[in-house]
Amino acid sequence: MITSPAPGQTAAARQWFLARTDLASLVDGIRATGRRLIGPTVREGAIVYDDIHSAADLPAGWRDEQSAGRYRLERRTDDRVFGYTVGPTSWKRFTFPANLPIATAHRTATFGFDQPVPEVTPMAFLGVRACELAALNVQDRVFLGGQFTDEDFRARRAAAFIVSVQCTTSSSTCFCTSMGTGPEVHGGYDILLTEIDEGFVVQAGSPEGAAIVAKLPTRKPTHAEAGAAVDNVEAVRTRIGEPMPIPGIDARLKLQLDNPRWGQIAERCVECGNCTMVCPTCFCTSVIEKSDMDGKVATTERQWDSCFDVAFAKIAGGDFRARPRDRYRQWLTHKFSTWMDQFGSMGCVGCGRCVAWCPVGIDVREELMIIAPPIAPVVRPVAVEPVAASPGNFSVARLASVRSETEDTTTLTLTDLDPAFLQGRPGQFVMVALPAFPAVPISISRFRSNGIDLTIRAVGPTSTALVNLHPGVKVGIRGPLGTFWPIEDAYGRHAVVVAGGVGLSPLHGLVDALVANRDRFESISLFYGTRTPEDQLFRDDLAAWSVSKAIDVAVTVDRAGPEWKGRVGVVTTLFDKMSWDCSKVTAFVVGPERMMQASVQGLLSKGVPSDRILISMERHMECGIGLCGHCQMAGRFVCKDGPVFRLHELGDMFNREGI
Amino acid sequence: MATSGRTARPRVAVAKFASCDGCQLTILDLEEELLEIVTRFDIVEFPEATSRRSPGPYDIVFVEGSISAREHLDAIKELRKQARTLVTIGACATAGGIQAMRNWADHDAFRASVYEHPEWIESLATSTPISDHVKVDAELRGCPIDPGQLKELLTAVLVGRRPQIRDEAVCRECKRKGLVCMVVATGEACMGPVTTSGCDALCPTYGRGCFGCFGPRANANAKSWSTSLMKSGRPPDEVWRLFAGFTGYAEPFRSTITELGKVKS
Repeated sequence: MITSPAPGQTAAARQWFLARTDLASLVDGIRATGRRLIGPTVREGAIVYDDIHSAADLPAGWRDEQSAGRYRLERRTDDRVFGYTVGPTSWKRFTFPANLPIATAHRTATFGFDQPVPEVTPMAFLGVRACELAALNVQDRVFLGGQFTDEDFRARRAAAFIVSVQCTTSSSTCFCTSMGTGPEVHGGYDILLTEIDEGFVVQAGSPEGAAIVAKLPTRKPTHAEAGAAVDNVEAVRTRIGEPMPIPGIDARLKLQLDNPRWGQIAERCVECGNCTMVCPTCFCTSVIEKSDMDGKVATTERQWDSCFDVAFAKIAGGDFRARPRDRYRQWLTHKFSTWMDQFGSMGCVGCGRCVAWCPVGIDVREELMIIAPPIAPVVRPVAVEPVAASPGNFSVARLASVRSETEDTTTLTLTDLDPAFLQGRPGQFVMVALPAFPAVPISISRFRSNGIDLTIRAVGPTSTALVNLHPGVKVGIRGPLGTFWPIEDAYGRHAVVVAGGVGLSPLHGLVDALVANRDRFESISLFYGTRTPEDQLFRDDLAAWSVSKAIDVAVTVDRAGPEWKGRVGVVTTLFDKMSWDCSKVTAFVVGPERMMQASVQGLLSKGVPSDRILISMERHMECGIGLCGHCQMAGRFVCKDGPVFRLHELGDMFNREGI
Repeated sequence: MATSGRTARPRVAVAKFASCDGCQLTILDLEEELLEIVTRFDIVEFPEATSRRSPGPYDIVFVEGSISAREHLDAIKELRKQARTLVTIGACATAGGIQAMRNWADHDAFRASVYEHPEWIESLATSTPISDHVKVDAELRGCPIDPGQLKELLTAVLVGRRPQIRDEAVCRECKRKGLVCMVVATGEACMGPVTTSGCDALCPTYGRGCFGCFGPRANANAKSWSTSLMKSGRPPDEVWRLFAGFTGYAEPFRSTITELGKVKS
């Protein structure tokens, strides 16, 4: 977020130098205007914002060491005054008090409600950082940006003269660079200070600021001093780096409402609400009534409250956010997602207070990256440019052989085709058409030296027509299309292939590729489940794989006659065989959607990371190239962004009905 | 709505079981309001204030203390029969009090080590909260209770509304007051995150970690907090002591203590 330029921004180009020993002149100069000066001071083992009576109150020579759940004050080796980052206080304490009487009511001789007129002493905030200016701007949008406004806030905000300080130091908890709020200050101040070794480079951002600066014992900064000011802030940007890739996180979080991580955080979260209290933008409040014993004269007081409160979303009939996970999710999704919908910006400015002041050390950055990690760009390398890449265009291939797999499934081998098809990758598919029949997507089940196999279940007119063809006839094909199995992802890991029913078809080529590169993997396993023994595809290949040492094959069936000596049960019952460290598993899963959901759950609960679970989705497709719109799913075209996806790309859309 | 329509002042009794009388003293400490209170309430029983006795029934009975001796068992049942509204006050009545530490110990050994003639002591093996024995209509927490909450409860009775007593972490009061969290800034042990508010963060205001005397708040994640305290380097028996203070017998502190007892041995 970029703060709006302050009036008098042009004057900001002018710089002065103020020696550190002359800082008292600024403190005294502001106090001389009659303003209540609030700034950093050491109290109770931290640097807090409180009344500043003289420059001696400022935290010269102190620094803060911060990490998740921990804050310690330490001595600096120099006497810098602003050599710390941010402490537990935020400026909202002064723009939005923790306790505020908002009404009095009486039913004595008369009956009525009175609202106090905000009476605010002129204030000056000393040491406002870039992230804190951003937070004040967030508050402006929340309290003043809509139809109904908070007039008390308006009065306090208008009464605040702002002396901003650019950060020349950072904490491990800082992430302003991710949120686009700092460390550089861009406007919104009356006076701007940048601390360097000898003192301060000073800029004025308003006529009132300029008037105060004019009275200071300043001089023009040397070229070196002006350069050092820029370099010091730039160094902070470099030091913080970019701890959290933020673009798109608001949208990604919306797809993760059912992520199991919410429950895991809730086990650690003690719901003290400290994150919301120290947050410079959290604005939830409750009111309490204080009355005399007759209830005739009452005061209504507004208090900071927190969405972590058990009763926060409660009504007479029950609680809308009854579980801790609901409340944690409410907070985090509001800060990083729904705030954007309501107020046009993030609710987070990256100050890191919620990280440092969480007594159990929950780090929102870590949690966000687990719950809604950045998604790989949709545009991916293609294996080979597809042939005949427009909906009406087909290349011609010859049907070389027809082989029955099961009662309703048949494998066709096509030859005499464009060499591009031979360079396709396992997981890709082709659109197949016959004159007078609509094209259908069929995955390539096997790559041969001079052709490809398509394994087809006869369910519709085109597929029925295809399986009844005789060798020698011609068919139209377009492709190879879509994403493919990233087998290099499983290098050095346990490759686990999970197939259900005809789902083995798009996995067959993958198994071939894995076996051909056996040495690159820790182990290779195939778990294959079908309804009955008769529904198994590629029985010859299964038998051959079973005797090879390259791959462990385990099959199971839902039901079978007495002659079946193998395992009976759903495919997930085979997961017991994964006796190794499942964080080192890359899994490839295809089957009916319910089977994939169960498999994914099983793999996740075994500890397989969600970005290491690859699934191939099936949707209605007419064009296969992202033009017809049929296969849209969770913002993706299954035809060109898939059919192979990493699980976390789909978020909880994968488990949702009606998508 | 202003009053419940009764013309007579509510008859109020204060009763005590095993306790130190500190909560009763808090009533007397409402110096500013005492005159107003006795004008509006007919306080007929109050052992700490007067030796006058008056039989029930009562509109409101404030009960201090835990059930700790054999004769308490019948007395509390009788009291309940006489009470239209029964309000427990303080950590002893609401949670069993500090004397409930014996619930995890050998009662006979405790007695023998404290008293010269343990055979004269007719205490029960456990100290239990009033709610384990009879229905309780409202409770005021704390050791002792907070005068502000007491006043709020009395006011609510007179006005005819629900008392505005929050169930939130002590942390919330610390933050509103602008206190620095000592858990984070100095590593001090504190029960604030799992303890219900109402004391205006009294101990943290004076630089001490919260003792947990107001007891666990609803849904207190005691398990995570005890884990976190141990993670920061405290041995299990120290964490055990933190939980086993004034309100240790109240769930979920109770299971945490039992769990920690296992770790300890």
